Amino acid sequence: MDNQQLPYAGQPAAAGAGAPVPGVPGAGGPPAVPHHHLLQQQQAQLQAFWAYQRQEAERASASDFKNHQLPLARIKKIMKADEDVRMISAEAPVLFAKACELFILELTIRSWLHAEENKRRTLQRNDVAAAIARTDVFDFLVDIVPREEAKEEPGSALGFAAGGPAGAVGAAGPAAGLPYYYPPMGQPAPMMPAWHVPAWDPAWQQGAAPDVDQGAAGSFSEEGQQGFAGHGGAAASFPPAPPSSE
Amino acid sequence: MEAGYPGTAANGAAADGNGGAQQAAAAPAIREQDRLMPIANVIRIMRRVLPAHAKISDDAKETIQECVSEYISFITGEANERCQREQRKTITAEDVLWAMSRLGFDDYVEPLGVYLHRYREFEGESRGVGVGVGAARGDHHHGHVGGMLKSRAQGSMVTHHDMQMHAAMYGGGAVPPPPHPPPHHHAFHQLMPPHHGQYAPPYDMYGGEHGMAAYYGGMYAPGSGGDGSGSSGSGGAGTPQTVNFEHQHPFGYK
Repeated sequence: MDNQQLPYAGQPAAAGAGAPVPGVPGAGGPPAVPHHHLLQQQQAQLQAFWAYQRQEAERASASDFKNHQLPLARIKKIMKADEDVRMISAEAPVLFAKACELFILELTIRSWLHAEENKRRTLQRNDVAAAIARTDVFDFLVDIVPREEAKEEPGSALGFAAGGPAGAVGAAGPAAGLPYYYPPMGQPAPMMPAWHVPAWDPAWQQGAAPDVDQGAAGSFSEEGQQGFAGHGGAAASFPPAPPSSE
Repeated sequence: MEAGYPGTAANGAAADGNGGAQQAAAAPAIREQDRLMPIANVIRIMRRVLPAHAKISDDAKETIQECVSEYISFITGEANERCQREQRKTITAEDVLWAMSRLGFDDYVEPLGVYLHRYREFEGESRGVGVGVGAARGDHHHGHVGGMLKSRAQGSMVTHHDMQMHAAMYGGGAVPPPPHPPPHHHAFHQLMPPHHGQYAPPYDMYGGEHGMAAYYGGMYAPGSGGDGSGSSGSGGAGTPQTVNFEHQHPFGYK
């Protein structure tokens, strides 16, 4: 499924303030490059998710069919809420239980990606709204979660304001025109913070096949870099070298 | 199509309360909170893909709950339209898969097809205790299983296990008295197909269906001789199945 163009109107300033690109002064790239890079990361995570789900379905066992994650009776009631629905085969709620599980997982992943873009650790309603707005197949939900007008988040602004001075030591303030941060080319990957990698991998990669695990690990490594860059700026442990404005 | 559900905090609280109540006893009437999935189940599933340090706001939890109900209604509406066009009364698992494919949920169709195949394998393994009989009500593939049971189990035994199966799967309430054994015999006989070939899976696009075809082919090879007898012509077999489906819903599927 295709994603709609991501809204990045408010991103450059925030990203620039929080994540200067060291070692490449005056080398701000065109906006297409980082946007494309971020899209690639997100697509890779979702592809890994679906590959994992295909394997998980093949491992379904008797206990999975006896202990559904969602109550079948409730599913039937929701199906029967439509008065045109007359009879439902026994297999349909069983299939829906799994389908709704996949739906919740996909919607949660897409929502969390939006929360991460805004440097938050709390999933909020507007993250769900953003995930729905970006995903064509979720168009039927636009009335459920009316999209609020995009606006700068005070928390993010404060966070970046706090990170700015530390990150810009010896420089003339953050580069406002810098596009969304991406790992600098040729730079070695910074050390991963302990809380990030272990916390993410066990979440849904338990028992995953080596191929999927490696792919997913690669994706999370990228996320780790971004996360670390953000924190590095705040902690002044990341070598700052802000480029001149575009 | 269903209207949007209100996303108030009270509704979330009610859902929590209903979760607790559901453990005690299932409420007979459909209430507003019954239109949402239990919030505890939803949160548990969400956490499987979130990092350990992630938090979920209450409004996000409620929003996901509403989205799930809307998703069920959306897919069900499309599946039901297909049933009505084809003048059928029972929404089957295949109708659900078809609706998802039609509405753009292509990524879902493959894992769900595999899952459905596994589910039917599981039922086949338990056919000795009558699960196959229950499955026959909703899908012609399982009609095969039901038909096979005819030569092994007495009518009363089939009825008994049928009740047990439903009680185990849907629990909570007393099982309504089943119909008399003779109608079961008749139904099973009608559901027995003349040849395998005429029951090839209708959804070739689904990987799970291909696997299922191979599975059923292997399963019924030893008994292929017996299939020579039975109703004639796939067209003829279709109509009796429709009639039999009506008679085979004594457990309040409506």
